[in-house]
Amino acid sequence: MSSKIDRRDFLKLGIATTATAAIGIGMSNTGLIPLRMAAPQAPATTKGPENPPHKWVMVIDQSKCVGCDLCLAACHAYNDTPPNISWSRVEEVQPLEDGQRVFRPMPCQHCQDAPCVDVCPVGATYHRYDGLVMMDYDKCIGCRYCQLSCPYGARFFNWEKFIGPNPDVPAAGTPEVERRPRGVVEKCTFCVHRIDRGLSAGLTPGIDPDATPACVVACTYGARLFGDLNDPDSPVSVALRNNPDAYRLREELGTEPRVYYLPAKSKEGSAS
Amino acid sequence: MKQHITKERLTHLMHEYVAPASREPVVRWMAFLSVFMVVGVGAALMVFIKGLVITNLTDLVPWGLWISIDLSAIALAAGAFSVSAIAYLLRKKELQPVAKTAVFVGFVGYSIAMMMLLLDIGRPDRFWHGFVFWNIHSPLWEVTMCVGLYFSVLMMEVLPIIGHWHPVEHNFPRLSARMTGLHRFTPVLALIGLCLSTLHQSSLGLTYGKLVARPIWYGPWSMAIIFYVTAIIGGIALVTFISLFSAKLTPKARINKQVLDKMAYGVGWAALFLLALRWWDLMGMPAEYVPGKTEALYILTRGRLAFNFWWLEIILGMVVPAIILLIPQFRRNEQLRMAALALVAIGVVAFRWNTNLVGQLVVFGTVPGSDVPIFTHYTPSLVEILTGAGVIAYGLLAITFGVRYLHVIDHGEGVEAPAEASVPAAMVPSSSR
Repeated sequence: MSSKIDRRDFLKLGIATTATAAIGIGMSNTGLIPLRMAAPQAPATTKGPENPPHKWVMVIDQSKCVGCDLCLAACHAYNDTPPNISWSRVEEVQPLEDGQRVFRPMPCQHCQDAPCVDVCPVGATYHRYDGLVMMDYDKCIGCRYCQLSCPYGARFFNWEKFIGPNPDVPAAGTPEVERRPRGVVEKCTFCVHRIDRGLSAGLTPGIDPDATPACVVACTYGARLFGDLNDPDSPVSVALRNNPDAYRLREELGTEPRVYYLPAKSKEGSAS
Repeated sequence: MKQHITKERLTHLMHEYVAPASREPVVRWMAFLSVFMVVGVGAALMVFIKGLVITNLTDLVPWGLWISIDLSAIALAAGAFSVSAIAYLLRKKELQPVAKTAVFVGFVGYSIAMMMLLLDIGRPDRFWHGFVFWNIHSPLWEVTMCVGLYFSVLMMEVLPIIGHWHPVEHNFPRLSARMTGLHRFTPVLALIGLCLSTLHQSSLGLTYGKLVARPIWYGPWSMAIIFYVTAIIGGIALVTFISLFSAKLTPKARINKQVLDKMAYGVGWAALFLLALRWWDLMGMPAEYVPGKTEALYILTRGRLAFNFWWLEIILGMVVPAIILLIPQFRRNEQLRMAALALVAIGVVAFRWNTNLVGQLVVFGTVPGSDVPIFTHYTPSLVEILTGAGVIAYGLLAITFGVRYLHVIDHGEGVEAPAEASVPAAMVPSSSR
């Protein structure tokens, strides 16, 4: 059968295929064919929006962090995370030269060019309109590819179902979001439910506690700041203006994280 | 009284049929595999009920034994598209019967891969999400789509084989005619298969190569190319090995020695090419310290994976088979040739296992300026091993079934009529003894 295809037939077949494809693509652009499956979460690029209405940023001041884990307790309670998952972690890093201990809290970095958004096969993790990296727990198939892709180790898999009481409730707060099912990946959301609720109530995230991520509110040392980088008067804009030595983690990868760190400084100045 | 008769009849039946049958090695072999399969099904049910918490996978090493089996199965199934493409697109007529063998082996390989994936994902009930919710930027999405589509292509290629199966042909002649009629489309299916396989075999490599977080994998080209090349070589080697090995065991497998010898020779050159490719990829890495990459390279060449890498992958998987298959005196020795082909396939499996693990055993630290790699570890749990063994047992069982009943190894002319005396007595059906 195949040997009967001559050049003319081959060309005809090629033209027909091209025409079919062209018509298909054309119709999909005019909306005649609703490409619903590809549409909402498969934009031309997997980068976050260029000019979001709010550019939410977290600034973590390592000179103020004492590693007390209050932020983690609040996170566990408000986001109702299972005991073996902590969306944020506080790592002890190299001490300063004078021996002062240094800590580094690590939430999801909400990268502008997030590797996890790029690789998720079903688009279950995506950029919101304001550039925050979100999880769609109803889409996630639990393949854990995003965990391999994350340079910050900020993603956690629900290896088992979370049943029973949350040890941090009610001491550190009360759950504000639903528990995730078994078999999906979850991660820090920057407490979007608090941001959205606050915005709709006319509050300013970063200033009003009810509109600010739980970990930022819980930090009694003021080591975590939150706010809109588009607003020049927000706590984060001020902090970044005053601290030109602020850095982000693994900037060489080009992921453009939304979490900035102010390096720890030795306390010589305050001691003298 | 009635009971007594049934019991007596049962014993009679046992003596007449079951006992002689169980003396046949192939039946014992199939029973042996079935045990593994049953245990595997039980273990898989446990995974579905209790969740992935009973595996030894962690957030740091989320892809373990199952993914390695999945990768290996997809690689070794690549004989289907490669042999079909050579036979039907390059019009090598003498390879067309071998393509039938390759397609069947490929079908079994892909079904193994899909079973493993179904176990591995956290939400098996959402396996179809990849087809409905698209992220065209993800290599894994591409792999999902292509594997799904290619599996249906393989199914269309396998249906004629099943159509020729004796019970189908006799009891459902019209259905059988429909199924065997699909054979007309084989050249077209070969073309589609070539496209789909090229896409997903290389994307499987890109799945790793895309990850900027894991420096040993990162690099858009090398992973994709090596995955594609290893798949073709391993696939062809396995098909050749299975054909030769089956022909040794049973007269039901009829081979064309000349064609298989040519294929073995080709695999020899390919192994040499693969050696150069792998060497270029790994040894071309910078000598200076690259955080994450240097540690991973150390694990691979001198650390925990060193035995796998040097012995299974390089020496036994590439060097030794290349020597055997390229030197005519060695290649003409049947045992050596079969061993060499099996070693190539084993080498490809070792490559997949090493590659999957090496990037996960070192997790790159996040402190800027002072990169601290964290070393992780992973040993599969019993449940993972039992389910993996069960799925592999299914594969072997399916291939045994295919050789015995579907005559998938029937390479036609050029076969020396098997001398009656050389057939082991146990291989002759008991009824004719």
